[in-house]
Amino acid sequence: MVPMSETEGGSVSPAGGTAVAERPLEQVTPQTPWVTIVWDDPVNLMSYVTHVFVTYFHYSKAKASTLMMQVHSDGKAVVSSGTREEMERDVGAMHEYGLWATIDKADD
Amino acid sequence: MKKFARRRGVISSHLSSYEVELLSSLVSQLVELVSDGEPEQYAAEPADADPFERLVRDLQVDPDEPEVSEDPVVRRLFPNAYPHDAAASSDFRRFTERDLRTKKVSDASVVLQALAETGGGARELRIDPEEAGAWLRTLTGVRLAVATRLGIEDADSAEELAELPEEDPRSLLVSVYDWLGFAQETLISTL
Repeated sequence: MVPMSETEGGSVSPAGGTAVAERPLEQVTPQTPWVTIVWDDPVNLMSYVTHVFVTYFHYSKAKASTLMMQVHSDGKAVVSSGTREEMERDVGAMHEYGLWATIDKADD
Repeated sequence: MKKFARRRGVISSHLSSYEVELLSSLVSQLVELVSDGEPEQYAAEPADADPFERLVRDLQVDPDEPEVSEDPVVRRLFPNAYPHDAAASSDFRRFTERDLRTKKVSDASVVLQALAETGGGARELRIDPEEAGAWLRTLTGVRLAVATRLGIEDADSAEELAELPEEDPRSLLVSVYDWLGFAQETLISTL
């Protein structure tokens, strides 16, 4: 991914206030045995990838940034989990945004 | 071009006539690529289109045409969804590729329309925030196409290009690539 230039500000503020219980993406059950994985690529801007995660998945800016950094540092990240059909829909959407995404079984 | 800025709900910038022409050309080339040279095949469908006819058309696969393109740009724009399952990837592609192509053509036409309205750069470029998605997706498509042509495959090859001597024939395309990145970055900052 391509980092923002130094001149671009935009600090990410942590999600404050009431803690919201969220099921971690890696905790999958028999009902959610599939995952969508986004892979790092040398073209897409970090700000763009974060923007896509906020816009499409409606993640908070903090969570979207965390996932984006995971894609950037680990080479990939699980961005959603669910049924195969749901994951196909998510991967299709990622492709619309020009991200490189794949579907896989959760226990890979 | 100036950075994109947002004032009273409208995102705008001023592009030179060269920039308008260049971006229009790049976006048009993307449309040609994505629609296999037949953009009218991927025009958005009217609301009363026959769903059965559409299904039949979606399922028709040309046996002579390889499913996965030989063009690396097309391969990057329409990647395999199932890395370990060629049959599942093939099914997914057959059922979704048409919609994906249609979406990219439709996004691109929003961009081309807005560029045309500048009168070759005589007027400022105005983007309705609701159309920002179409702009971002199209800019990404164009950047991916240019990057692939430049041979950017990983962080190293990208870095190498940043250090090209000016006489290198690729340096013009690299500056176009940088300019596209600037446009996309500043557009995102207005959202």
